[in-house]
Amino acid sequence: MRDQTLETTPAATGRERPAFLPTDVDPTVFDEGFLRQLERLQVLMKAPVRGGLKGGRRSVKRGQSVEFADFRDYALGDDLRLLDWNVLARLEKLFIKLYVEEEDVTIHFLLDASASMGIGTPSKLLFAKRAAAALGYIGLASEDRIAVTGLAGRAGRRQVALRGSGRVFRLLAALSGIQAADGQTDLVAAVRHAGAQLKGRGVIVLLSDLLDPAADKVIRELAATGSELIVLHLLSPEELDPQIEGDLRLVDSETGDGVDVTIDLATLDDYKRRLEAWREGFADLAAKRRATYVALSTDMPLAELVFAELRRRRVLG
Amino acid sequence: MPFLAPLALLGLLLVPAVLAMYLLKLRRDPHVVPSTLLWQRLVADVEANAPWQRLRRSLLLLLQLLLVVLLALLAARPFLERPAGLAGDVVVVLDTSASMAATDVGPNRLQVAKERIYEALRDLPSNGRVSVIAAGRTARVVVNGTTDLGRVRAAIDGVAVSAATGDLADALNLANALAARSGSAEILVATDAALASKPTARLDHPVRVLQVGRARNNQAIIALAVRPSSSGVTRSVFVSVANLDIEAAEGRRIELYGDGILLEARDLQTLDPQTRTEVIVDDVPLGASVIEARLTGGSPDALELDDRAWAIVPPDRLRRILLVSDGDPYLETALTYLPSTELYGVKPADFGPATHPELFDLIIFEGFVPQELPAAAVLAIAPPESSPLGEVVGTLTDPGIGSLSPDEPILRYVDLSTTHIGRASKLVLPAWARTVIPGPQSSPLLYVGELEGRRAGVLSFLPRDSDLPLQVAFPILMANLTGELLGGSAAPTAAVVPGDPVTLPLPAGATKLVVTRPDGSSVDLAPATPGAGSVVFSLTEELGVYTATPVFASPVPTASAGPTASTGPTASAGPTASPSPATGASATPTQAPLDPAAPVRFAVDLFDPAESNIALGSAAEIEALGRRPGQSPSPGASPTPTPEATGVPGPSASPGSGGAGVDTPPVTRDELWIPVVLLVLAVLLVEWLVYHRDAVTRLWRSARGARA
Repeated sequence: MRDQTLETTPAATGRERPAFLPTDVDPTVFDEGFLRQLERLQVLMKAPVRGGLKGGRRSVKRGQSVEFADFRDYALGDDLRLLDWNVLARLEKLFIKLYVEEEDVTIHFLLDASASMGIGTPSKLLFAKRAAAALGYIGLASEDRIAVTGLAGRAGRRQVALRGSGRVFRLLAALSGIQAADGQTDLVAAVRHAGAQLKGRGVIVLLSDLLDPAADKVIRELAATGSELIVLHLLSPEELDPQIEGDLRLVDSETGDGVDVTIDLATLDDYKRRLEAWREGFADLAAKRRATYVALSTDMPLAELVFAELRRRRVLG
Repeated sequence: MPFLAPLALLGLLLVPAVLAMYLLKLRRDPHVVPSTLLWQRLVADVEANAPWQRLRRSLLLLLQLLLVVLLALLAARPFLERPAGLAGDVVVVLDTSASMAATDVGPNRLQVAKERIYEALRDLPSNGRVSVIAAGRTARVVVNGTTDLGRVRAAIDGVAVSAATGDLADALNLANALAARSGSAEILVATDAALASKPTARLDHPVRVLQVGRARNNQAIIALAVRPSSSGVTRSVFVSVANLDIEAAEGRRIELYGDGILLEARDLQTLDPQTRTEVIVDDVPLGASVIEARLTGGSPDALELDDRAWAIVPPDRLRRILLVSDGDPYLETALTYLPSTELYGVKPADFGPATHPELFDLIIFEGFVPQELPAAAVLAIAPPESSPLGEVVGTLTDPGIGSLSPDEPILRYVDLSTTHIGRASKLVLPAWARTVIPGPQSSPLLYVGELEGRRAGVLSFLPRDSDLPLQVAFPILMANLTGELLGGSAAPTAAVVPGDPVTLPLPAGATKLVVTRPDGSSVDLAPATPGAGSVVFSLTEELGVYTATPVFASPVPTASAGPTASTGPTASAGPTASPSPATGASATPTQAPLDPAAPVRFAVDLFDPAESNIALGSAAEIEALGRRPGQSPSPGASPTPTPEATGVPGPSASPGSGGAGVDTPPVTRDELWIPVVLLVLAVLLVEWLVYHRDAVTRLWRSARGARA
């Protein structure tokens, strides 16, 4: 069932800001309904979303933790606390217990803030913000580090990384600060710019409509950073199933260029076929690069996204 | 393919107009999409395999162009030519006699005949002219020499069966005269050939008969009469039924209705073929004023028209006649035997206001004319001197009787061929009168007419001065004459032949008569001259009972309608004082005369066994009357010379019709508008489907989805 609260209804925008909400959080994006959903997530997460965002969390490094990984011979200088005394008692040999090093993983949310993302009902950017907030919330709850970057123009503007579940409102504020660009957006350049700011490996979540001629390059480059890449491909219902007909001049929201087209059922069928092929092209590319590709419609309820769709795609554990 | 209106092909100029509209049209509505990325590729691909795609997109344009071309073609009226089967001038004679109402072919013979005519007229050459004659009791030209087949069709559609006996000979003669206007003419006769009277006149043009009808089973009421029965209390009804079939008819029944109420039903025995059966019903109560007979039961016959008949019960009222005479036994005897009359007598010397002449319906003056004429109808016999009734200019001795008109109603059944007259007054025919019996040197022996609102007649000789009283003709003449002068029994009590005119009395003071026909429609009849005593009604085509109601300008005071009992002639010495009339002398007119404002009724019945006989006649006999194709008209056979022969450019020398184009065989043109219109409709349908193909595809998909 479609979640009504996802839509930014005029009534919702007109509502007063909840008293607990910091001033830098956009109440139109993160309205009361959304916050209630987050709350519900918190409750539900205890059992089903125990793992939080997976991906690169298990480090190959051995280190301090409670999870046993391996044994190795004792070498001079090792911490005696790590000796396996039971083995020593039985075999009279010195072994050191190795534990899995639990890395401090950073989850980068790359939000495409190009002009095309501002279109749609609900707008793709709005959906992207809410999805990022929900996933970020889960990340924060799993003690992951969360970083949010808005891609607009030719630059990726990175906000400070956050950590700890108490930083939810900071996360919301950071997402609120991202606005759709007015002019043209060069997604490749913006992604490169953002990639340069990445430190170490982590998880990159790209939320974009990929309506860029070089979108495949973006996926390739991000996959090449070594971080695990999750592509959430957002398209609005109007793009998936256009309800237009007749002789029209289609105007590009970013470039302002027009395409004259006579739209009838055959054209629409053709369009849908191409759209499907286009998305499959991304899916194939992502599969080759060991990235995860999820095609989403922006009319999908958030709860379904988090609890069903992303889990089905093994994005969430 | 030739065209009737090739100029309409200019409509093809609209083709570039449609193209121009397509070129100028596309002002596309802008629609903002997030990105045109996908659309651009789509458009690029569409243009890559352009020819077919472009064609598909412009399918609507192509269809519209095709539509324009087709409409231009349609407006240009394309046609095909073929040899015509008819002459350039066709005279159609449509039999509308009563037998054409027979339903042996559905719906009836007339309708089938009309269809046959339409079918035959398809072979009419282009610009061929058609005249249509409806042959009822009289021939009537419905359409005269038109090339407009629509008008012909409308006119033929409007022709209805007349209930009258048909006269095909009259119609054929008229057709012959109409056909004589052009060189090549043909007469088409649509009839059942069941003719009451067979035409015999030769015709100058080929005749083709379109015969309709099949069966011959018909039984008809051919007579219906009402008479007082011997008891005088009731009436007897006499019905005669004829079986005109060649097989016996079983189970038929005669029903008698009095004023719409069933009085008597009588089963008829087996009706032998070609025989009559008489039924006499006594004890019909006096109250009924209209008797209707219906032939019902058994298997219904093909002609319903003659299964009903009506009769008016004659009124019981007595008419009073005053004879002012010194005594004439012949006259008195003849008058005494008149039905429903009372005769009074008075001597000329005693005649005066005291006689109350206003109480009488007819006053007969014999050898005497008073100074002032009474208001009642007057018959003067041998007036001794000039008076308003006529100028006496002398005396005729042994006058001969001139030629008599056979149509004169007063002379019906009167044979005067052996009558000799000794002496008569020589009279001059006044302007108001018509001659009934002409005499020598244009001095009439008997004339009647209307003088100052009263009926009047003058007989120029005393009956006893001739041998007329010794002949059978005398009582009949007197009955007819007094009947005409009394007039008042108003309407004919005998049945009227359909189509015959009826003379209806107009009461004094009435401005007009309203005649209600059996179908409920009414006709206003105003007298031709003010003060006339009667009007003629001729719309008697329909069978049934007609009612004539007089309309008065001002309400009629009932007191003036007749003498009241107190002033009645019982006190007067008038009638009783007369010694001479033996009968009626003691009777006193106690009965008030009929209310003159009362409606008058008469019945129209077919009563014609010849017309009721619906057995098909011989079409070949009628065709034989016409000229055989190829045979030249016999010289002198046609009394009306054709305009071509006389060299006078007549109106019939119209272009394209037979007169001018005898050499070239006439052709008929079949316009091709039906296939073109069908094609236009088909193209329109295809265009609609193309325009709505998306909606249709969606419907189909959803239907398929629902089924799956």
